[in-house]
Amino acid sequence: MANLFPKWTNDLPWKVAVIGGTIVVLLAAGITYYFTPKYTRVGYQPTQPVPFSHVIHVQELGMDCRYCHSFVEVASHSNVPSTQTCMSCHTQIKAQSPKLEAVRAAWNNGAADGPPVNWVRIHRVPDYTYFNHAVHVNRGVSCFSCHGAINEMQVVYQHEPQSMSWCLDCHRAPENFLRPPEEIYNMNWKAANVDEQKKIGQQFKEEWDVNPPVTCGGCHR
Amino acid sequence: MKRDLNHPPLPEKSTLWRSMSELEKTPGFEDLLLREFPRGADVYQDSGLNKRDFMKLMGASMALAGVGGMTGCRRPEAYLVPFTKGSEWTIPGKFLYYSSALPIREGAIPLVVSTVDGRPTKIEGNPLHPSSNGATDAFAQASILDLYDPHRSKQITKSGAPATFEDFSAYLAELVAGKPGNLAFLVERKNSPTRDLLRQTLETSYPGMIWSEYEPLGNEEERAALNASFGEGVRLVPKFERADVILALDSDFLSPSDRGVGYASGFYPRRNPDQKGAPMNRLYVVENHFTTTGGMSDHRLRCKASEIGEAVRRIAERVSNAVPGGSLAALAGASPKSQAAFDNQWLDVCADDLIAHAGRCIVTVGSQQPAWVQSLVFGINEALGNLGSTILAANTGERPAASISELASAINDGKVGTLFIFGGNPVYNAPADLGFADLLAKVPDVIRLGIFEDETSKLSKWQVPAAHYLESWGDVRTFDGTYSSVQPMILPLWNGISELEILALLAGRPKPDGPELVRETFAQLTGASFLPKATEPAAPSAIPITSALPVFSSEAASQSWNDFLRTGFLPESAFPLAKPSFDASGVASLIQASVPSTSGLELVFLQSSSVDDGRYANNSWLLETPDFETKVTWDNVALLSPATAEKLGVSPNNFSWIYKVAEKMGNDIDFDIVADVLELSVGGKSIRAAVLVAPGHADDSISIALGYGRTGVSALMENVGFNAYPLRDSSSLRFRTGVDAKVTAEKYPLARTQEAKSMYGRDLVREGTLARYEKEPKFPQTMGMDGHIPPNLSLYSNPTLTSPEQWGMTVDLNTCIGCNACVVACQAENNVPVVGKDQVRKNRDMAWIRIDRYFAGDPANPEMLAQAIMCQHCENAPCETVCPVNATVHSEDGLNLMAYNRCIGTRYCANNCPWKVRRFNYFDYNQRPIEKLYWGPLAKKGMADSLKLSKNPNVTVRMRGVMEKCTFCIQRIEEAKIGRLVEAGPRNKNEFPISEFKVACQQACPSDSIVFGDIKNPNHRVSRLRASERGYTMFKYVNANPRVTYLARIKNPNPLMPGADLVGMANGVPHDSHADHGSSETHDAHTATGNDHGAENPSAIKPGAEKPAHH
Repeated sequence: MANLFPKWTNDLPWKVAVIGGTIVVLLAAGITYYFTPKYTRVGYQPTQPVPFSHVIHVQELGMDCRYCHSFVEVASHSNVPSTQTCMSCHTQIKAQSPKLEAVRAAWNNGAADGPPVNWVRIHRVPDYTYFNHAVHVNRGVSCFSCHGAINEMQVVYQHEPQSMSWCLDCHRAPENFLRPPEEIYNMNWKAANVDEQKKIGQQFKEEWDVNPPVTCGGCHR
Repeated sequence: MKRDLNHPPLPEKSTLWRSMSELEKTPGFEDLLLREFPRGADVYQDSGLNKRDFMKLMGASMALAGVGGMTGCRRPEAYLVPFTKGSEWTIPGKFLYYSSALPIREGAIPLVVSTVDGRPTKIEGNPLHPSSNGATDAFAQASILDLYDPHRSKQITKSGAPATFEDFSAYLAELVAGKPGNLAFLVERKNSPTRDLLRQTLETSYPGMIWSEYEPLGNEEERAALNASFGEGVRLVPKFERADVILALDSDFLSPSDRGVGYASGFYPRRNPDQKGAPMNRLYVVENHFTTTGGMSDHRLRCKASEIGEAVRRIAERVSNAVPGGSLAALAGASPKSQAAFDNQWLDVCADDLIAHAGRCIVTVGSQQPAWVQSLVFGINEALGNLGSTILAANTGERPAASISELASAINDGKVGTLFIFGGNPVYNAPADLGFADLLAKVPDVIRLGIFEDETSKLSKWQVPAAHYLESWGDVRTFDGTYSSVQPMILPLWNGISELEILALLAGRPKPDGPELVRETFAQLTGASFLPKATEPAAPSAIPITSALPVFSSEAASQSWNDFLRTGFLPESAFPLAKPSFDASGVASLIQASVPSTSGLELVFLQSSSVDDGRYANNSWLLETPDFETKVTWDNVALLSPATAEKLGVSPNNFSWIYKVAEKMGNDIDFDIVADVLELSVGGKSIRAAVLVAPGHADDSISIALGYGRTGVSALMENVGFNAYPLRDSSSLRFRTGVDAKVTAEKYPLARTQEAKSMYGRDLVREGTLARYEKEPKFPQTMGMDGHIPPNLSLYSNPTLTSPEQWGMTVDLNTCIGCNACVVACQAENNVPVVGKDQVRKNRDMAWIRIDRYFAGDPANPEMLAQAIMCQHCENAPCETVCPVNATVHSEDGLNLMAYNRCIGTRYCANNCPWKVRRFNYFDYNQRPIEKLYWGPLAKKGMADSLKLSKNPNVTVRMRGVMEKCTFCIQRIEEAKIGRLVEAGPRNKNEFPISEFKVACQQACPSDSIVFGDIKNPNHRVSRLRASERGYTMFKYVNANPRVTYLARIKNPNPLMPGADLVGMANGVPHDSHADHGSSETHDAHTATGNDHGAENPSAIKPGAEKPAHH
């Protein structure tokens, strides 16, 4: 009986398997990398209507986070400051700066009836996820842990993926991130080394009974 | 890694489809769009574009759109928009609580309103208020939806044409200048001191002014009787906590919607068999249809509404014989007699029980029964010595108002030139004999202030949008007289105006823009003085109760005003209570005036448990809330007894609950109820109504709820129910006799949430008598199969319940009246969607908590039991083991969680739930209009902007294809837990207790039947109640270990009463205690011996197919 298939087809199965497998692996790797928040979100740095610089306000002038984000310790939401907060200084300082045009328009010489400033939102969790700022900053989690070195950002960008697995990294092992309560808003604080961080983290975890939820209901309601 | 992406120009208004707007702005495509569509196919050819060019252009446009923006590939741009100026007390994302009150007919329901970011989202009872137990009724819960109703009236119109507020105020200024003598007002009944003061002012400036009040479900008859018996302005205040025996005659006194939640709150503690120091009370009820009160009764006598008077007369005779002296014998002798056939023994035993408890009992009668019946009841209470002991009197000082009939005759006499109608809807609901629509034509100027553009608005010259009570300043007295504040939570959404503002304008004052009017009243009431107007600061905003900041300067008066706003009431402002002095001589004229004719069929007009008198007819939450007795949604029905139905020839399908019919039909009942339609006619008028056979209804009597069959405001209220007002005359507000009824060939589909009327022997509801409970307190725990359950042989291990808090709930069936307050509260709290009648008929209703209602005993005269059922949060949850994607899992603190974003909609969990509490989103109920669910993407997407404001921001709005269910209000649990952690800060959290909180259903419950809390905390009420001997869990043999414990209902029958041995026997006749059975004994060995396995009650419904109670 004549050969139905030519000889080269003998190698076909393993070639198909290898090439197909490679494609699958590449596809999986590609999706894992490119379709996940680590790629799609980290680095998102939109231009804001006002070129606000955290470097000037925090790093150079030494303002506390809570001067502007005033309700972070009591509310789930860390508020963006009202125009009034901006203008409490900027009626005196840089009062005519063209960069503050949008803020002045909203303030409208104290009438506060102008179009409000539309800050572009950078950090965003899905609607079915309920993140609470107050409980984190009061229990030893610094702004730095989720937002990165904001004090060094001329223009704010997203520093962490803020995906569910990223959240769980800390919820499962909070000792890697807990810091002394007086250093929560100190963006420059850093434990001396990893072991030191683990040591004090473990100490706080036990002293305060830090036991972050890892069931769905902790964040999804 | 960092990508510097330019901030695109802001869209002019926010659009959902960000990439589409990009697409539209691409020049090539825009060009094509302009040329392609508006001018049609001709131009398409003329332009020289062929299909290929079109595709090219499209492709290029798409590519351009992609390259230019790239935003289409990323998540949509979102903005953070801060306030320009900080708003006092407002913290973004945090609830702010204000006290207020919902004015109702005879008082108010004190409220605490949650607002978030300036919009009210949830209404709760005010626990601080002295005349409230911190609860609400279903109407108060749902009233917030009316605030956001997109169908509300939004525009002032004059003769149908749009007008401005300036036009309207110019018209009012003309009136102020002209001072016409033919001014009249028709208002809703409301005990508002500020409105009374303005009325006084107007009466002096407009001589001859007519001030009339009308409530379709008002209490004119009671008022007349009270005036004759006790004097003008006297109100009787029963003290149910002092009564050992209560007889309610056609009186639904437990319903909180007439006189507020505080009215009967004294009843429930006395209902508790475990109370210390006082005996459990006993409740007799005489009524024609099942009310919530009738469901609670120990003994219930069916009686036509028109024969209540005769029942009262016979009781009065017996009482006057036993308690000689006094005026009762004369009163009873003068009362008209009727030959009605009664269970005289029932009345005698009941009267004897009252006599035995003289001075410790209450006889109460429905406020719409004829005045002579009311007076006779006062006489009975007087003879029994109840006046002054269990019944006290308050002098309200109310000034009488004209009735609608008096207004009608004034109009007919041409004495009314300008008529203001505030609220109400008289064209729809005025007594039919007045012909109100024709009357309005005789009044030159009719000014209507209404929330909706309804039937009355269409016949009025001016229609003015009314401000909702959550949008306007006001005040009100609760039933006990406590002066309470009504505060606005939000500026009027659609420029609504309040009635106080119009009255002020008519009084020649400027339009108030703050609480000045109320503050003046407050000053008068307290004798406090305020700063003169000129030196006052700007009108203060409403005062939240959470704040301790004073608004004004350090004046004591402003402090008390702030306290008044913060707490919602003025302390010690209730009417002083005194012993009522009964004056029998005044009553004689009432008795002479009326002679009852009770033969033939009667038609009784009921308050709807869903739409009240029709005022909530556009409220979809309430329309979909099942009636507490019939479980009918979206409709009202004519209720009648099985015997009457048979007599009238109603087809057997309407009888599905009767076991005889079930047998005849081989247990194969069509549960999809298609009802017969009845034609009811009397006095030359007729209406049609779908008929439903109601167990426990009086014979020769038909009941129908008012408030349905409205049209014209929105698509929502079209084809909903039947309008009974055309048969209601001013002389027959409660019942109409001599009604003719015949079955028509027409059929009408009904949507009911619970078809099964019996428990099919499964002992879901458990009850017993007080005597049995005292002898054998643990009887509820051994009922049914529960005495025979083998030791735990579960294959599954328990979840790890490691948290120090473990959440659980108890529901006390002894006090649950089935009033639906919890159902609507849950809907408001948890963003539960409405699905429409069609979907309810397919069993797709979404309620997270439902109230199952069972009948037990004689089908003609059964007991009614209500049972609230929500997710039981089983420790061995059957739903969790079948979920293929782990979307429903257990938390460490004992909650059965539902992760919506994981759910793929297999619905296995719902199949495996023994309680049938899981709800599936078959459609995108939040995004599509309910009448167009099947249109799919062709229907308009999105919900009205105003409805978006009503959503609770702390609960996910679910989408199509996911399962949902009761979460035990996890958002409140988490908030409490987070609150504790925030308080603890860098300290050990275990040193800080979790603050007290209530879940939504518990908060609303007027009878305090639902208790929620930490079952591991031995001091918490919930753990004490769980350990109660009355406590049992449903389906114990399934070994699911629910976290919801039910407390069995205990009845307190009078052993002398005929049929007393059948009271409290919903689970069948008890046999010897199960406690001494060995667990090795099988259940089957028992059934032959006759025990209480549910089916042995000779009159109970026989067990049919094991159909679940729901679905």
